[in-house]
Amino acid sequence: MSDPWIELNIGPQHPSMHGVLRLKAKLDGEIIKELEPVIGYLHRNAEKLCEMGYYCDNLVYFDRMDYVGAMNMEVGYLEAAEKILGVPPPDRAKWIRVIIAELSRIAAHLVWAGAYGLDLGMLTPFFYCFAEREKILTIFTEACGSRQETNYMSIGGVYQDFNDKIIEEIKDFLATFPKKLEEIYNLYVKNDVFLSRTKGIGVLSKEVAISYGVTGPMLRASGVEYDVRKAEPYLFYDKVNFEIPISHKGDNLARFLVRFEEMRQSLKIIKQGLEKLPEGPYFNPKAKKSMMIRMRGEGEYYARTESSKGEFGVYIVADGGVKPYRVRVRSPTFKNLSILPVLSKDVMLADMIAISGSIDLVFGEIDR
Amino acid sequence: MVDIISESIGKDNRKIILVSLENLIPFMKEMRSKGFDHLSLVTAVDRKDSIDVVYHLHSMERNEYVVVKVNTKNSVVPSVTGIWPSANWDEREQYDLVGVKFDGHPNLKRLFLPESWVGHPLRKDYDLSKVQYINMDEDGEDYVTFDAGDGW
Repeated sequence: MSDPWIELNIGPQHPSMHGVLRLKAKLDGEIIKELEPVIGYLHRNAEKLCEMGYYCDNLVYFDRMDYVGAMNMEVGYLEAAEKILGVPPPDRAKWIRVIIAELSRIAAHLVWAGAYGLDLGMLTPFFYCFAEREKILTIFTEACGSRQETNYMSIGGVYQDFNDKIIEEIKDFLATFPKKLEEIYNLYVKNDVFLSRTKGIGVLSKEVAISYGVTGPMLRASGVEYDVRKAEPYLFYDKVNFEIPISHKGDNLARFLVRFEEMRQSLKIIKQGLEKLPEGPYFNPKAKKSMMIRMRGEGEYYARTESSKGEFGVYIVADGGVKPYRVRVRSPTFKNLSILPVLSKDVMLADMIAISGSIDLVFGEIDR
Repeated sequence: MVDIISESIGKDNRKIILVSLENLIPFMKEMRSKGFDHLSLVTAVDRKDSIDVVYHLHSMERNEYVVVKVNTKNSVVPSVTGIWPSANWDEREQYDLVGVKFDGHPNLKRLFLPESWVGHPLRKDYDLSKVQYINMDEDGEDYVTFDAGDGW
C-alpha cells in the first residue's frame, strides 16, 4: 500500500524542537496529513529507579523530570510520600513550599514564553524572559545552593529555613517584576508576526481536550475551569485568594494569554504567602536525618498537584518496606503531547511548529 | 448496573472499586455515561503472581475521583482506548514497561523502548544485570544489541 504523500522526519535533534522529540510526518505539499511523535530518547525509567531507592532518596529523580519547574515536581512527590510515611510538614514549611512553588511556576512560564518566541522567529523577548528568570534562580540559590535541580524540599519539611535575605530578595522581585512582565507581554501582543502566527491556529475544543487528558494552561485556554489548586487544594492553596484564568478561544494565543495571567496570579499568591508566613519549625522532628532511611510506608496514595504544565500526579504503592513498591507518575506534558497528531492534521508544517511550541514540552517529564 | 467485586475507601479518601476482568468494559462504559469524562491515569502494578491494573477516573463537572482496579493472572486486559482516547499512550506505556497486553488496542507498540528490547523493566523479575545497548540501523530505527562494541 502506498500513498502519494511525502514522508518527512523531523528531529530528534532539531532547532525548533524543545528537546528530543522526533516526528514522522506525512506531507501533501506543505500540508501535514499524518503525524506520529516518537518519544523515549530521554527515557531513564525514573519509576524503576524510585523502586530501588529509599523514600528520601527519590526526590532527586523528580527534580529531573520537569527541570524548568523543579520545585513543583518536588511538591508533587512529597504530597504523596509524606502521606504514605505519616510525617506531615509543619505550617511554616508548607507556606515556604507555596511561595517557592509559585516562584518556580513563574520561572517555568518565562522559559516557555522565551522559547516560544524563538519558535516564531522572535529573538529579543527571549533575553527579557531569561533575565527575569535569573532573578528567581538567584532566590533559589540563596535558599538551597542550586539553580535548577534544587532538591530543596525534603520529607517532613524543607532543607533550610528562609532567612531575612531571601525574604528581602523575594520582596524586591515582587516590586520589580510586575512592570517587567507587562513589558515582556507587550513585546508579544503588539507584534503582528506573533499575532498572525498564533491567532486562530491550533484550535482545541473542550471535549477533545478532556477526552485526551489534556490539563493545565492548555485545558484552561479551551474554556474548562479546572485547576488542581482549586479543585483539590493541597498545601495552603485554600487559604490564599487567586483566580483561575480561562479563555474560550482554544488557540495558540489563548494559551499564551492564560500563561501570562497565571504569572500575575502567582505574584498575588506569593505576596499573600509572605504575609502569612508564620514563625516556627521548618522541619518535622519525626523525619530526622538519621531516621530517614528507616521510615516505612503502608498503603497506597495518589496525590495530584498543579505543576506549571498541568495536573501532576504521583501514585505510590507501598508494601510496608523502606522503599516504595511501585511509583507511577502522571506527567501532564505526556498527555498534552498526545494531542499533537490531532491538532496538526491538515495544517501547514510551519504552523505545526507553532502548535507544538504552545504545548510547552519538557522532555525530562515526558520520557521520565 | 454492572456487578462489582468490592468497594472500599483508600488512604487518599478516594473510592476504590474492584471489578472482574469480564465486567471491565461494560463497567467502564457505565462510568463514562455517568460523567467520568477524564481518564487521568492507567497504572499496572506487578504483584509477582498477577498484575493489578489501576484506572484513575475523574469527572471534570462534579470534580469526583474514582479508582477502578482489575486483576489479571495472564497479563491480558481489555483496552479502554475506545472509551477514552487518552488511554492510548498510557496503555502503550504500561505494555512497554510492565508487559500488560491490552486486548483491542489499535496500535499496541512499545512507546519508550525500541521494539526489540528484551523484557519489561518494571516487572519485579526483570534482570537488571543484563545490559542492553541501543543501536540504530540504516533506516534510522532503533534496535537492541547486547554487545557494547557493536555499531557506531
